[in-house]
Amino acid sequence: MNHVPAHKFSDDARPLTRRAMAKLRTRQALLQAGKQLFTERGYEDATVRDIARAAGMSTGAVFANFSDKADLFAEILSDDYEALASAMREIAVEDRPVRDALAAILEAGYAFHLEQLPLLQAANSVSWSHTAKDEERRRAGLRQVLSIVEAVLRRGVETKQLAAKTDVELTADLIWQAYRSNFRLAVFDGYDEGALVRRTERQLDLILNAVKVG
Amino acid sequence: MAGVRVARKQATRDRVLSAARDLFVEVGYEAATIRMIAQRASVATGSVFTTFPSKLEILKRVMEERLDRLYAELDSIMPHLRGSVADRLCSIMAVHYDFEMKRPRLYTAYLAANFEWTDGPAFLTFGSNPRLRDMLRKILARGIETGEVRPDADLDIFMDVVLSCYGMNYRCAVQKGFDTADLIAMMDRQINVAIRGVAAS
Repeated sequence: MNHVPAHKFSDDARPLTRRAMAKLRTRQALLQAGKQLFTERGYEDATVRDIARAAGMSTGAVFANFSDKADLFAEILSDDYEALASAMREIAVEDRPVRDALAAILEAGYAFHLEQLPLLQAANSVSWSHTAKDEERRRAGLRQVLSIVEAVLRRGVETKQLAAKTDVELTADLIWQAYRSNFRLAVFDGYDEGALVRRTERQLDLILNAVKVG
Repeated sequence: MAGVRVARKQATRDRVLSAARDLFVEVGYEAATIRMIAQRASVATGSVFTTFPSKLEILKRVMEERLDRLYAELDSIMPHLRGSVADRLCSIMAVHYDFEMKRPRLYTAYLAANFEWTDGPAFLTFGSNPRLRDMLRKILARGIETGEVRPDADLDIFMDVVLSCYGMNYRCAVQKGFDTADLIAMMDRQINVAIRGVAAS
């Protein structure tokens, strides 16, 4: 998961100066170390000092690059959302029935997060006490992913697989909340990817049945 | 003598729980320390530790004791519910929002703790509350009898969807300032879509 969002490079077409390159490498090293420690220990127990040390840097280097621990964490999550959104987008463009497209998109989500489940738990836990700024970033990330689900639903309406009067946003909301809640089953009840996918497919069938044609 | 000791232990327990509940509401779960809870309850810090293994355990007990009141209220409401299956479900969930939104910080602390991984699965995770599921199942079963709900409807999955939305909607209270009426309106819309997924055609 060393995905670097393209925008980090694209705002400057000229080749990066050596200094800028070094700064970028520092940032990447901190993001990577942070991700690993947050995953291993959860949000509270991963300290800035330990993250700096794991990246082979000083604590000062963290604060030179991020305003605080919450900022570093939010950046890690927003990189993750981008990586996940681009994986989901590739699946969404394939031509198949709405139900199958949505199942495949959610399956990609489970595969992505199951590899790093503790990180998702930390994110969920922290999100209930977010600052407004961090929450805005999280919501921007979420928006990307959710808009993919909405696009598939809209295509379903256009191709008359779903009723014309379908409330796309509300339907996407139901699908997404059910999808997210299922992670609890992975955390507490030991569900693996296959079990999660089967559960989410039953939920999808029910929700799509509510908005089917006729 | 043993009786006195048991009674005293129970009194300590009750005092700690009530102090903890007030503190969680006032300063939040994270900021409330065991020492603060002990001070508020007028007991020694040590006796909090001997009564409860962790702060998380205190939160868990606080939530459970509250639920007894909520379900007593719901039990008395159940026989008076009228209207369609969706109407009844909306009423049950609205009572939940009314109840929890009296102390939103306490409930969101509980939801946040649901996702804590360092403390392990000590929690009754929201959405799996058997009393609530039972109540919803009864309403749905009655819906099957009256022909409103398909007999082969996937009721567990329907409840998954509704309860996921129920819990996640609290985010809007935390992050967008939704009040009780907003949350209830949101839940009503969600239930009215989901119900069509199990409705008899």
